[in-house]
Amino acid sequence: MKRRLFIASSLAAALAGCANTTNGLNENPQVHDALKLAEKLDHAIIGTHGDAKLYAASDITSPFPTNGDDTPTDGLYANLAREGFAGYRLPVAGLVEHPQTFDLRSLRALATLNQITRHDCVEGWSVVGDWRGVPLGTFLGLVRPKPAARYVVFYSFDRDENGQQFYGSLDLHEAAHPQTQLALDLNGKPIDADHGGPVRLRVPTQLAYKSTKWVQRIELVSTFKPIFGGNGGYWEDQGYEWYAGI
Amino acid sequence: MDATASTSRARATAAVSPPGLVVKRHSIATRLTHWVGALAMLVLVMSGLEIFNAAPYLDASDLSSPAHRVLSIGADTSSGTPRGITQIFGRTFNTTNVLGYTDNGQGGESERAFPGWITFPGYQDLADGRRWHFFFAWILMIAGTIYLFFGALRKEIPLLVLRPSDVPKMVPMQLYYLRLRPDPPEHGKYNPLQKAGYTLVLFGLVPFVIITGLALSPGIDAIAGPLTTLLGGRQFARTWHFLSMVLLIGFAFGHVALVLGTGVVNNMRSMILGTYRIGKNEGTGP
Repeated sequence: MKRRLFIASSLAAALAGCANTTNGLNENPQVHDALKLAEKLDHAIIGTHGDAKLYAASDITSPFPTNGDDTPTDGLYANLAREGFAGYRLPVAGLVEHPQTFDLRSLRALATLNQITRHDCVEGWSVVGDWRGVPLGTFLGLVRPKPAARYVVFYSFDRDENGQQFYGSLDLHEAAHPQTQLALDLNGKPIDADHGGPVRLRVPTQLAYKSTKWVQRIELVSTFKPIFGGNGGYWEDQGYEWYAGI
Repeated sequence: MDATASTSRARATAAVSPPGLVVKRHSIATRLTHWVGALAMLVLVMSGLEIFNAAPYLDASDLSSPAHRVLSIGADTSSGTPRGITQIFGRTFNTTNVLGYTDNGQGGESERAFPGWITFPGYQDLADGRRWHFFFAWILMIAGTIYLFFGALRKEIPLLVLRPSDVPKMVPMQLYYLRLRPDPPEHGKYNPLQKAGYTLVLFGLVPFVIITGLALSPGIDAIAGPLTTLLGGRQFARTWHFLSMVLLIGFAFGHVALVLGTGVVNNMRSMILGTYRIGKNEGTGP
């Protein structure tokens, strides 16, 4: 009996020791840098090719779920929302030949892409929505990225509880994918405040954390290193992969 | 047989290791890739459970659908004493302190599907769980490729592939394991049950766990959509991925039990140093 107790307590101690070791390894910056090699390989080998599957209207998930992030508390956003986003303006700046600002009417005129696609959350769940909006490739054609431009950065109206602004980025290849869009409608209605309206990004070839909600402004840059945490997005700054095709 | 393949080093060892003949059993490539692969599997299981915890349910459908739910692990915190609740095919089990409401990896208990002591990292961190998972997925792929390359080159793979002639020997071999038969049936380097297990794992479960993992990724789905569709869709691929992990854990338990039960020192020596003493237990190992 004593021996069994000894074995059991040794096992428990070993497991606790293991947990400390694994947590310690996880918090080691050099180890973390090594782990990031996998993302580079995945990006190089899988990348963004082919098209996300198209679904039928009968597959649409209703109601479309949200993931904790509801209407931004930002005062500017609240004012715009009160007036039905009549005052919404989307500036596109940075490394472009023709910096421009778009209102919702001009964006609607460009909204030629209607697709029923799956929305895959990094947590593991999947839902389907009917999205209508502006193909990002067409949109970028209007502002003409300069040769030095490599990334499109999307800044959100939303902020986290520490006041950190949400943002995300795509490279020009991903941005030009024919299914990448600035979505305006979800399931036939203007996207509401909980789902990222009036304008949100949709990148059906990657996990949904790449699909920035409540897009406030767009900037083309040569590198995202100087922006906030330097990893190309809010979630990327929390440790998630910049390449979210896997 | 192995005796003919013994190296001079093994013969030298044999001379000082009476009474059995010591032979070279596993090449350095097999031994290295075995241990690297075993470590990779361990980290993949633990980080995989960390990832599962972020959406602690499995659906047998393309899209998330409670109507097609085959497994869910949650907690009932409505009363003063929280309970862990696990549902499998609609049957409900109270799994408090084990699943659903359990070790949170930070010294306490909280609402969490798999406990902290079995996840990597111990505390809930989906981003880091994914980093570990995808890194060791590459390690497993690389170790597996090296193993198959050298195994094919040295003609070791054919020795462990199950053949039709092995099938009738599987029952006698099981009887021998159960001590219901004095001797194992005649066999080569690996016995028929080992061959069945290794063939299933190397050419069945490991490729399947890799394929199902890839199929649930949106980037792969865009490239190879029919693969995801064939598996029943994204959530179904996630379910298959989990199921293949459970089967691999089952194999690992059986494997370790046989390592312990058929001469642990001899077995461990063969997979660490490469040498194996032919004796009464010859070829009846893990």
